[in-house]
Amino acid sequence: MYKILPKADLPRLIEKWMEQATVYAPVRQGDFTKFEPLSDPAQADLYYAANTRYPPKSLFLPQSEVMFRVKGSEFEPTGDEVSSRVVLGIHACDTRALQLLDGVFVDRDYQDPYWARKREQTTLVVLGCANPCETCFCTSVGSGPFDKRGADVMLIDLGNEYVADVRSEKGQVLFDHLPDASQEQIDASRQVQAAAAAKMKKPFETEGLKDKLYNLFESGFWATIQQSCLGCGVCTFLCPTCYCFDIVDEVQRNERVRNWDTCMFRIYSQEASGHNPRPTNTERTRQRIMHKYAYFVDLFNEIGCTGCGRCVRYCPVNLDIRQIIRSAQAWEES
Amino acid sequence: MNSLTLAIRQEAARLLEEKIVDVVIGFEAGTLPLKAQPAFITRKEEAEKLVFNGFCQNNLAAYLTRFPKEKRLGIICRGCESRAVRALVIEHQHDRDKLYLIGVPCTGIIDWRKIERRVGENTLQAREEGDEVIVTTRDGEHRFRRADVLHDSCARCLHPNPVGADIVLGDPLPEGDPERAWAPVLEFEALPPEERYAYFVQETGRCIRCYACREACPMCYCTECFVDHTAPRWTESMITPGGTQAWHIVRAFHQAGRCVSCGACERACPMDIKMTYLVDKLSYDMMQQYGFEVGASDEKQPPFAAFTLDDRNRFVR
Ligand code: SF4
Ligand code: SF4
Ligand code: SF4
Ligand code: SF4
Ligand code: SF4
Repeated sequence: MYKILPKADLPRLIEKWMEQATVYAPVRQGDFTKFEPLSDPAQADLYYAANTRYPPKSLFLPQSEVMFRVKGSEFEPTGDEVSSRVVLGIHACDTRALQLLDGVFVDRDYQDPYWARKREQTTLVVLGCANPCETCFCTSVGSGPFDKRGADVMLIDLGNEYVADVRSEKGQVLFDHLPDASQEQIDASRQVQAAAAAKMKKPFETEGLKDKLYNLFESGFWATIQQSCLGCGVCTFLCPTCYCFDIVDEVQRNERVRNWDTCMFRIYSQEASGHNPRPTNTERTRQRIMHKYAYFVDLFNEIGCTGCGRCVRYCPVNLDIRQIIRSAQAWEES
Repeated sequence: MNSLTLAIRQEAARLLEEKIVDVVIGFEAGTLPLKAQPAFITRKEEAEKLVFNGFCQNNLAAYLTRFPKEKRLGIICRGCESRAVRALVIEHQHDRDKLYLIGVPCTGIIDWRKIERRVGENTLQAREEGDEVIVTTRDGEHRFRRADVLHDSCARCLHPNPVGADIVLGDPLPEGDPERAWAPVLEFEALPPEERYAYFVQETGRCIRCYACREACPMCYCTECFVDHTAPRWTESMITPGGTQAWHIVRAFHQAGRCVSCGACERACPMDIKMTYLVDKLSYDMMQQYGFEVGASDEKQPPFAAFTLDDRNRFVR
């Protein structure tokens, strides 16, 4: 179902959604963008940055989340308060990331109720990327700037209006009352989509990549490429598909919380005995790359990187995952 | 290619050829136009990869503590890097005779954020030409005066010339203006306490505890940082104020008399958090109250790390 939405009508539409749901959209603070609940449609800034700095995974897996509280000898559950939400202006890569994380959190043997509840309550109004950024590479990792998987609605920017490709019942609820798009508009939206994908560069080939990485497991490759790595949390905390967390009892607050954690931290794999099975940055860098480009493929048959480019842009030493993959493909044991 | 790059390559190649060092730590071209990458050169032929320009945004002295002490390191050292190396040697982090410092007088690091704020995210090319930075984006060429796009810490740099280097490449530069250097500290101090606190709350409120600021800092090298300590735990584990504000306060205090004002912490931060206003204030106090400036001498220990047997205070005896 294709609907048409003049851009000038978007604020009114957001207002209407706000009557029923909490609406999240990219909001700018200085140079920095993050999905925030809107109190006024004018706060939404869909175009300042290609991708929000802070990844929207945080709406489903908050960086710090209280799992339950302890009152005397009683447990008090948390998280039920999540009510209906609309996420507007999320891009295809980040939507794809949520879908990949569904594989981790809900589609297998166990269910993560915290994640599941928020996913069920949320409608994703995706904004396709008509002008992909220089650091994006979604088309190289099995996706694209208008990948519709996981979208309840996909908006395609035609300049003065959006064509809304409504793809689910949840999406219909939000867009039903709008006029249908004409065939001409639908055709124009197809052109925008094809042109955007065609503009994107291909930084590496994924053919044979997983096997290559397994072959490199014991190789000197990792020690070579990791030398500049600082072992910080930037590339994984900002990554929309990184989901590691650590559970901590905050005794003074009577809370059990979970916080984002990262395999790039030394203490991530530090054991109580003092032994660390990933003793140096070399093993840790290998873990990060292998998880995304080999283990994820084994588990879900998909690459665990959506090509959003955040790690590329914000790594403080410009250690570029595209370059790492290229070097891996080209590496020959000496 | 600039003549400094050429001179650095030649010197690096010589050091490796004559086996004076095991590795030369410098910069090579990055994958993004506004950034260079730290490079670790062990063979003389690879010295050709080295570059030096205003896009070299990391403090290379941060790598010193990542190498075993027996390694002989050649390090490209601008003013701040050379002072950090000095401070690290005083703190016994490496033997001075296993270091070869290739000094480079520094005209300052270009802040890619300041450029992106003006031209957007999609830079295609960037280069320096004299006092200008020329950036090409999808919509054409943009020219900036270097002074307008320098990183804040570099714009107020006091000591652009390397200290204690084994060789200095390039011509010495005039020293920085103390008035300009300390103006932000004095301005901040002059604000009412509520405003200062509000600023601190606002900046720390974005912190995601990725610790890039710590890892990028040459002076943060503890094997176990206080925030990573779990028994006992010194801060809340979350991104609550009890976690992030505690992190920022203690991090700053651990830098008293040690911070070299390089700004690498701020440049590394993915959340654009300001934090040098805290460490700069401590450096200012160190100067005012103890007459101490980090890197000014080869021997003097930072006041908070030093003790003498004839100390006026009894607790050290
Ligand atoms: S962001 Fe860069 S420096 Fe930090 S852990 Fe990732 S690769 Fe290493
Ligand atoms: S690995 Fe990097 S490019 Fe890939 S999804 Fe994560 S942040 Fe984005
Ligand atoms: S193991 Fe590392 S790469 Fe994998 S999800 Fe966790 S933090 Fe991300
Ligand atoms: S605290 Fe910041 S400014 Fe000071 S030495 Fe460390 S990185 Fe440089
Ligand atoms: S780099 Fe920034 S976000 Fe990361 S811990 Fe430091 S201040 Fe916080």
